[in-house]
Amino acid sequence: MALSRLSATLRLLWRERIFYAFVAPFAVITILFGIWPILLSIQVSFTASATALRATPTWVGFANYWTIFADPLFTTSLWRTLVYTGLSVVANLAFALALAVLLDSTLLRRGNMAIRVALFLPVVTPDVAGYVVWRWLFDRSFGAVNAGLDMLGLPAFGGLSSPATATAAILIAELWHHSGFYMLIFLANLAIRDKQLEEAAAIDGATPWQIWRLIILPQLKPALLINAVYATIQFLKTFTVVVVMTKGGPNDQTNFVSYYAYQLFDQGRYGEATAMATILFSIIIVLSLSMLWISERSGTK
Amino acid sequence: MRCLTGLTGLVAAGMLATAPVHAQQLTIWHDLGDNGIAWFQRMGEEFARTRPGVTIRSQSFPTEQWFGRVIGAINTDSAPDLIFNNYERVIRVQSQTNRLLDMRPVLAASPDRTFLGEAELRVATYRNRMLIIPIQRVQMALGVRKSWLDRAGEPFPQTWDDVQRVARKFKENPPPGSTAANTFGFALQAARPRDLIHMLDLFVFGSGLEHTLIDPAGTITIDRPAHARVLQEFLRTYTSYGFVPPDTINHSFTEMYQVIEGGRAGMFRVGDWNVRRWEQPNTLGGDFVVGPWPRFEAGRENAVVAGGMRGVAIPENSPNRQLAQDFARFMLSQPAQQASLEVMGAFVRNDLNVSALTPLQQWFARAQHRLVPSDFPEATHAWYPELEAAFHRRLLTGIANPPANGDWSAFITATAQEMREAAQRLSRNN
Repeated sequence: MALSRLSATLRLLWRERIFYAFVAPFAVITILFGIWPILLSIQVSFTASATALRATPTWVGFANYWTIFADPLFTTSLWRTLVYTGLSVVANLAFALALAVLLDSTLLRRGNMAIRVALFLPVVTPDVAGYVVWRWLFDRSFGAVNAGLDMLGLPAFGGLSSPATATAAILIAELWHHSGFYMLIFLANLAIRDKQLEEAAAIDGATPWQIWRLIILPQLKPALLINAVYATIQFLKTFTVVVVMTKGGPNDQTNFVSYYAYQLFDQGRYGEATAMATILFSIIIVLSLSMLWISERSGTK
Repeated sequence: MRCLTGLTGLVAAGMLATAPVHAQQLTIWHDLGDNGIAWFQRMGEEFARTRPGVTIRSQSFPTEQWFGRVIGAINTDSAPDLIFNNYERVIRVQSQTNRLLDMRPVLAASPDRTFLGEAELRVATYRNRMLIIPIQRVQMALGVRKSWLDRAGEPFPQTWDDVQRVARKFKENPPPGSTAANTFGFALQAARPRDLIHMLDLFVFGSGLEHTLIDPAGTITIDRPAHARVLQEFLRTYTSYGFVPPDTINHSFTEMYQVIEGGRAGMFRVGDWNVRRWEQPNTLGGDFVVGPWPRFEAGRENAVVAGGMRGVAIPENSPNRQLAQDFARFMLSQPAQQASLEVMGAFVRNDLNVSALTPLQQWFARAQHRLVPSDFPEATHAWYPELEAAFHRRLLTGIANPPANGDWSAFITATAQEMREAAQRLSRNN
């Protein structure tokens, strides 16, 4: 029985040999440079930091995990990362969707392409350069943001120096950098939607709001799903903006998990740092799979 | 035939003569940038005079990367022959690897070490092991923009009251091309744990006090009256006085240097290593004067702070351990120290020729001012870095949420209590 199953598998492999020959190099690269480092990182999280990189490391079980969960800085950092991710995903998707709908409408016929390019430009701008400029914009002694507010007679914005506003400030900078990408995905989805449905609904007397909510929005589900999953992954890993703009401050307000783990890496605390990375990785996997699963379930209904 | 025999004999003799001169390379990792590379190159040339065939290859890494690289290399048996950095950074390497050589026998074998004082040798020691041979004493003075002082009609500030008056005048009378909104009395830093405490060290030791946070007996010092006054003024400098840019809470070295070199602050820390750069026309162009830190109380003598000690350490798995020890000893020699003075502006010997230096460089090199060393608590309390990190977080919390009435007394009392509990816990666990 087993022999016949093996023989059938081999026959299938032989029949599809051209396909597998093309796929094999990429599968090898993925395993070598994608999966293997992740597995190694998880392995390091179960070793004593001082011996982590040796050929025979000292295994410490879950000790690194207990250590980081006993560290109030880490638990606060994890909570802040989750809150920031939630806020950023909602803000980016809402902003990108609004822009996409505006650009897809008949309201912006003139200069439509120029506006699309302008909105997408931040995505291809080197992120470090972009965030340095944002840091200057928010600077409270010479930044343009407060100069503008001052001209308008409005109160000053705390920007990066105040714990109350630092998270909002980096969220704005990231919104500028990323939303053009999400907008492009929404625009692609809007371009391939079935417009006949909207015409039929209009003939049946549906209001523009009803058409948008009941006809267009459901058709944007693929773009919403892709963007939501991608944005969740992206913002859970928030790092560059923190390094450039706040270094985790003020007062640890923007010390998200990726940056905190990086600080521990710098101190040679590899075990704890990789334990943090593993936890973050697990959260990303669980959230991403949950979103796909929920989407598939609602799709079948 | 006779000719052939003669030739063979000559070749054999030549080979024998050159046999001891085989190429050998020592690798040293540091974070001193181009100046450091030039210094090691010059020392390498001097060293090769007595050790033909030996070359020194130095590699400079950004400080943050230096830790990871050194710790990783030592733990994977791919260590360089030597490492060079500030004592507290070497302590962190040792705490993560426990594989640095005890340098006591290396130093004991040096004929040239009498100029090293007790304080310097204490700094080098951690958990009863001498981790570094001290090579460069790091002096930190108060610098003030000369043209700003002239415009304000003020002499170099000697007391804290002078500093406050001068800082206000700088703000009221900004330099041409600047406005009061982007002109500040002071440039300081706060973002990383060492940043803020190093700044506080300057105010404490420079004003004639000792022990910023904890004394050698393990007693927390911050709520002693004289210390509390300095800490209170230090915190006000970051908050209600408005002497520093409002974004200072996120400023580390890079941003602080941008404020100084961008001409936005009139007073700042000047390390001996800064002078050469700040005499260049594209930075401060030499438009600054240096002196001791201000005193806070009459009767105390203010001082320049010896705020760090850079030294050389050798990993136990150094590939050329014996030669590395010879080079470490050589770094204390007169030619090596002269090169250190001329290229880096720092040294530990007291018999160097300073005549070729600029007046500002000579001010540091002659060290005729009162020089007070920081107490280097890491050397006494192995758990100090963790206590310091807790203190830093506490101070940042205060700076981020300053008391409405500007009175920090309650904050300082509560912080002192918190630090006492933390010190007890840490000393118990270690």
